Amino acid sequence: MDMFYFIVQQSMVFMIPLLIVALGGMFSERSGIVNIALEGKMVMGAFTGVLFLNIFQNPENVSDQGILLLALLVAMITGMLISLFHAFASINLKANQIISGIAINMFAPAFAIYIAIFYLDGQFVPFINQFRIASVPILGDIPILGPLLFQRTYITTYIGFLILAVSTIVLYKTKFGLRLRACGEYPQAADSVGISVAKIRYAGVLISGALAGMGGLIWIVPISSRFGGSVAGYGFLALAVLIFGAWKPMRILFASFFFGIMQTIASSFTAIPFLLNLGIPAAFYSMAPYVATLLLLAFTSKNTQAPKAAGQPYDKGMR
Amino acid sequence: MKRDSILSLISTLIVIIVGLLIGLIVLLASDSNQAFPAFWTMISFGLRNMRNVGDVLLGATPIILTGLSVTFAFKTGLFNIGAAGQFAFGGYTAIYIGVQFLFLPPPLRIICSILGAALAGAVWGAIPGLLKAYRNVHEVITSIMTNYIGMYLLSYTIQNTIFDINRTTTTRMPDDSNLPSLGLNYIFREPLGEGYRASAVNLGIFIAIFLAILVYIILDKTKFGYELKACGFNKDAAKYAGINQNRNIVFSMMICGAIAGIGGALIYMNGTGLSMTALPLLAMEGFTGISVAFLGLTNPIGVIFSGIFVSYLFLGGARMQPFGFSLELVNIVVAVIIYFCAFVLVVKTNIGKIFPKSREGE
Amino acid sequence: MYIIEMRNITKEFPGIIANDDITLQLKKGEIHALLGENGAGKSTLMSVLFGLYTPEKGEILKNDEKIKISGPNDATRYGIGMVHQHFKLVHNFTVLENILLGVETTKFGLLSMVEARARVVELSKKYGLSVDPDALISNITVGMQQRVEILKMLYRENEILIFDEPTAVLTPQEIDELMKIMKDLITEGKSILFITHKLDEIKRVADRCTVLRKGKLIGTVDVKTTEVETMSEMMVGRKVNLIIDKPEVKLGEVALEVTNLTVKDKITGKNVVNNVSFKVHEREIVCIAGIDGNGQSELVYAITGLMPSTNGVMVMNGVDISNLSIRKRCLAGMGHIPEDRHKHGLVLDYNLAYNLILQSYFSPQFQKYDFLRFNEIYKNSDMLIERYDIRSGQGGRTPARSMSGGNQQKTILARELSREPKLLVAVQPTRGLDVGAIEYIHKQLIIERAYGGVLLVSLELDEVMNVSDRILVMYEGEIVADVDPKKVTYTELGLYMSGAKRDVVNEELA
Repeated sequence: MDMFYFIVQQSMVFMIPLLIVALGGMFSERSGIVNIALEGKMVMGAFTGVLFLNIFQNPENVSDQGILLLALLVAMITGMLISLFHAFASINLKANQIISGIAINMFAPAFAIYIAIFYLDGQFVPFINQFRIASVPILGDIPILGPLLFQRTYITTYIGFLILAVSTIVLYKTKFGLRLRACGEYPQAADSVGISVAKIRYAGVLISGALAGMGGLIWIVPISSRFGGSVAGYGFLALAVLIFGAWKPMRILFASFFFGIMQTIASSFTAIPFLLNLGIPAAFYSMAPYVATLLLLAFTSKNTQAPKAAGQPYDKGMR
Repeated sequence: MKRDSILSLISTLIVIIVGLLIGLIVLLASDSNQAFPAFWTMISFGLRNMRNVGDVLLGATPIILTGLSVTFAFKTGLFNIGAAGQFAFGGYTAIYIGVQFLFLPPPLRIICSILGAALAGAVWGAIPGLLKAYRNVHEVITSIMTNYIGMYLLSYTIQNTIFDINRTTTTRMPDDSNLPSLGLNYIFREPLGEGYRASAVNLGIFIAIFLAILVYIILDKTKFGYELKACGFNKDAAKYAGINQNRNIVFSMMICGAIAGIGGALIYMNGTGLSMTALPLLAMEGFTGISVAFLGLTNPIGVIFSGIFVSYLFLGGARMQPFGFSLELVNIVVAVIIYFCAFVLVVKTNIGKIFPKSREGE
Repeated sequence: MYIIEMRNITKEFPGIIANDDITLQLKKGEIHALLGENGAGKSTLMSVLFGLYTPEKGEILKNDEKIKISGPNDATRYGIGMVHQHFKLVHNFTVLENILLGVETTKFGLLSMVEARARVVELSKKYGLSVDPDALISNITVGMQQRVEILKMLYRENEILIFDEPTAVLTPQEIDELMKIMKDLITEGKSILFITHKLDEIKRVADRCTVLRKGKLIGTVDVKTTEVETMSEMMVGRKVNLIIDKPEVKLGEVALEVTNLTVKDKITGKNVVNNVSFKVHEREIVCIAGIDGNGQSELVYAITGLMPSTNGVMVMNGVDISNLSIRKRCLAGMGHIPEDRHKHGLVLDYNLAYNLILQSYFSPQFQKYDFLRFNEIYKNSDMLIERYDIRSGQGGRTPARSMSGGNQQKTILARELSREPKLLVAVQPTRGLDVGAIEYIHKQLIIERAYGGVLLVSLELDEVMNVSDRILVMYEGEIVADVDPKKVTYTELGLYMSGAKRDVVNEELA
């Protein structure tokens, strides 16, 4: 049973950032802007967030959750700022959305490492990682559910689920969500009733930047005590989660949970006796999430429908 | 047509200047005292002597090829973000042959290495191609996956085949498995003490340029190129014309993979003793190739020049360290350049729309 | 006093004056037709009215007061609404969501559609516009989609309603219904601007008619006192001979025989073409009529090889083509003028000469040892440009994208007809073209008839009646009528098209 709790707890660590970043990607793509820049936005968010912790973390009170929340805010703002470049290129200048995404993916780690080396004399930005909550008061004592969800956890896990709930409501139950989806499917329809396609798309891209930036910091906090300008391809995995999740919040949840488990197996199979005894080399466990993605996409994507207008610049003159 | 190329050239130059200026601003913001000497070093080092010029060409060789790989794909309507993986597979295969196939005479061994690299790259490129053609999965996402899979797979394979445990890299190849310098070492060298120090630039740069010209001919002058570009511009019309677009997608990805794979071979066979790491790391040359391709405005001939330019920047950029700046600045500059290249491509493709011959009223 | 007056509007684009000093006056409570060919400047004028374009000169007045419209929102504020020719509906939204898009009602920040729904239901009853508010757009008929568009305007309480070519996609019966709805709307105090190029419809409902030609205002006439021929001449600038001179010919061999053809939709699993059998002879133009979306496209895709058929046999000139590739069908003598010239017909980024060899670039004429023979390619284009009168700025080197719609269509026509196909499949070959181009294409189709058979798919009933030798009507994937255009009436055709009437089509009669 302990092993089971361990796997679930560990999976959360991997799943939550994927969930948040993929939901971010969802807002962008459902507004009609393909977002391959999630990786770069994560890097920027993680970088400024960690830098914030590095500067302002109080060594006397390292497990202060308040400072983590502030760092998350910093990460979100950074993500939004870098997103502005993507938005400007894809919306105002109607440039190829993949190229501007690649530019951001290239810029972010270079920028993070450049700044780190210049000001901190090393590629890595350290921070003190004491944010784990051993057990949430009261809730942690509930049998089964307690160890599953409320022990050895991070505040970010609950933020992740909160974002999921809010995203679902925003997308399906609000005026903004309706307009966002219209812009991603058939912007001409939105335009004809006086909705500004550009504004809605800006909003979509900025939300994706905020969530990706935040996701970057959420990714690094539980697994390390320093940041070195890379999120190890999680932004790309989030993109796969988004596609596998068919651009729908609840399916994204399942997709990210699946990847969370795969990653857990990859990173900690040595702690799971059954897997260790199989004698499969570590490299194959590391590969498993990517192979699984490939196979799943191969078997499911024939019929999944991307937002119809995603990737196409909206030109008023076109009919 | 003429006006079009002049416009492209001018806009590319503007983009490069803007990118460099932003780089300078970043330098100035970091340390205004050292900024100008460092910047001058970055933009002039590659031309300071013939050896440096040779080193620029040496560094350009692999990225011209990855850039060519991305360009070829782009012309046929595909986005090859998997050049990193194809490059690594090519490199590994070339080294394996260079280390293990000692029974072959050196010239034959070198040819085998290059062909083997092309084949390995083609196989690795075929996976996203097949998935795109027959399963409708976007090649960008599958290429990302195959990059990571390849990274772990190669790390594992190296450790179990041609492993140098002390350096955690591949075993060193014998010298006669490397590309011949063809006398280039007499041209690209600088005086040092009594003698000279020569650049390792070699046959590879000619292979890269030759392949770029070959790709240009295939795309622009042949039936096959006509088909491939038709698929790239409008796959529905290509289907209507009876072109087997699924087959073309797979072919195209295989050719891209082969080109990137040769790039991998040429870098590890350049005689500088460079070995392939056994750590799971993605080959940066694959991503630099994307920059090279767009800076060359996805024109095979343009890629030769943009590859040389990017190599030039990297060579000079590495010399900024004594001034307290890291090489990452070059990546920032290149990222900015690519960002603006996206705009140049818009201007280029819309030229017909912006200045139409006659515009319909409706 | 006019409810809307557009005064002296001039709108220029680089190289062309799309609207040259145009004045349009809409009286309250009238149906005012705006007549003109494709390219006459109607759409530009409407875009100016909606604030999508800013005119160089001129002003817009509402009830004699000058107003400024700088976007669809302003237009809505002044009570102007439009049913676009291509409906502006989101396919995976419900009818209700589409109506509310842009004017959503919320409670505590969340969408609340209960009251809005009640209003939509009430409006649809009041005007006889029956719709299911919860149906997805992708699941309802084109006619119903149009009703949704009308409801969108009514929900926004627009008083000036613009209909842009509203009858193009409807059956004669649906057109009757629409005409009645338009008249009802007038009695409720609305004013209508009716954009069309169909004169009989103007005669039926409009009070006055403004005619545009090549960006210029030709005049505004009273419909009751003006002859159809006069209006037609105003529109085209010359006398139009709409009756096609078509010599009687003797039928030849069977060019195409389709037996029990079935095509299944991959996603829904529905038979979009259901057990269809028919023949096309040499020297015969067989026309497939029907409302858009009744399986005509899929039938053509199956015949040309763009889509696999589920069942059935197709024989062309004695060769079983059922399982042949697109290329082999083409080589066996099939020509295809596709429905969507930008999607299938042309590679817009290739130049004219390259587009002219799209079906033959692999032949020894155009390549040697796999290298393209550029001299031959441009010689070929020079020849076809002259023979088919294709207007292009730089000859064979003109980018296809920069050519006008009519010349793009001529390019496709030249490419397909010059191969002298035994069977020509032409799908809506005259869509979006002006009268001159339409006449030209009809003439060419009749010339082509001398070489082989023609299978023509058309949504325009005039074209169906005038060009074809025999009419097959498709309804919900089946052929429900096989009739002679000389013996059938428009009304009868409409009944077939809407599924209200069907014959047992006996293949032996064909």
